Amino acid sequence: MISINKIKITKSEKITLVFIILLGVFTLGSLLIIKNKCLFIKNYDPDDIQFEKRENIAVLNVKCGNVIIELYPDISPNAVERFKTLTRSSAYDDAAFHRVIENKLIQTGDLEFGKRENLNYGKVGTGKSGLGLIKSEIDTDFKFKRGSVGLARTFQMDTEDSQFFIILQDEPLFEGEYTPIGKVLYGIEVLEKIKFMPKFHIVPRPDFINSLKLLE
Amino acid sequence: MILFRPILLFLILITPLKANTIYNLIKIPNLEIYEINNENKLRYLYAAKPFKLGVSIKKNIHCFDSDKKTLDKKYKIINKNLNRYSSEFLKKIGLRYIVLCEDLSIENINTAGIPNNITRTLILDIKFNEVYFERAIHHEVFHIIKDSYKKLFNEVNWESLNKKNFKYSECSTCNNKWNLDTYTKTKGFFTEYSKSTASEDMAEVFSHLMFYQHKIYNGDPIIKKKIRFIKKSISKIDSSFKFLNYD
Repeated sequence: MISINKIKITKSEKITLVFIILLGVFTLGSLLIIKNKCLFIKNYDPDDIQFEKRENIAVLNVKCGNVIIELYPDISPNAVERFKTLTRSSAYDDAAFHRVIENKLIQTGDLEFGKRENLNYGKVGTGKSGLGLIKSEIDTDFKFKRGSVGLARTFQMDTEDSQFFIILQDEPLFEGEYTPIGKVLYGIEVLEKIKFMPKFHIVPRPDFINSLKLLE
Repeated sequence: MILFRPILLFLILITPLKANTIYNLIKIPNLEIYEINNENKLRYLYAAKPFKLGVSIKKNIHCFDSDKKTLDKKYKIINKNLNRYSSEFLKKIGLRYIVLCEDLSIENINTAGIPNNITRTLILDIKFNEVYFERAIHHEVFHIIKDSYKKLFNEVNWESLNKKNFKYSECSTCNNKWNLDTYTKTKGFFTEYSKSTASEDMAEVFSHLMFYQHKIYNGDPIIKKKIRFIKKSISKIDSSFKFLNYD
């Protein structure tokens, strides 16, 4: 009759086992943290903030939270009116961030070729709103600092429509070139998490606007 | 056709992004800011590296970077001359960006400047003709003015100011009339280069009006008519515009 003696785990084997378990926990934890890129981003609730002119506050909701934008109708009345008109009709909801340059700018608002349901990679960025073009409003001195919001245009002036951009760094050359419509008050870090593709023009499978609403 | 869309999409996706604000604004690569805080809001850019431009694959406009010493020296001269144009006037004529580079050429022919009123840009060769460098700046500014106000500077009307038997060349580089020395006896033209085309003739009259300290009109009736033509047309753009003389 053969008897099997119980083998005792040595000290070094115990240490190795603990190490493997710790490594597994660490790897799983890291994966979860990396996957959730919004983990350390603060989400601002506009109801918790006092605003002087609520009618000029827009709340852009994207994957990582809210971006709170103050609009400047005194600087660019026509452009802000266009932006408000489209926002009131929820036209910007589900619009793609089709042009994203890392740490420089994000651009969205192509209502013709850049919506979630009919995203056209070949034409995105060229679409219109159907409300017609508006004139550039560039005569007021406006410093394009990080967080400034402006209407995009084609190579020519007076071709603004629905597309807008938000800059993630100061852009002094934009002054007098683009129509400013406002500035991000809270949540610019949310925009830094918008999907981009290094060194490429178009973002494949881009992020979208969940909603854009006015506080009025 | 089936393959066209995927190929187009592929081409778009692999096109490297020139994430450069200047390039996005005026479509000239390799530029950096030299000075942008000017009273008349002109933005001075310089070639950090050589660049090539052109609408086709064959890029026929070339210009090269310059050393800092030359840039600093020429910027002062250019800035002094361009500061004579107010921001309101520059806005009306559509001039906003000045690109400083050297050995500027188009189709391998050296040129003082290349204006583009669509991009509101004037490329200047900072090493072009040392003697007439300052006057050439105003000459090139005129081309921007004319491109923005083609009707005001009607070439047929201008040609009628010349003697009946005179004909301009087909283009400004179609002959060897490139001398920029001002004639002592003008006979309807300030320089030999004036005789190349109506556009260059206008630019020469404008640059003489802008630049020379002494009175340039010497009793030549054709020159007198040309000066009146230029002054009248410019005043329609901006009635407060001041030339150096004659005002």
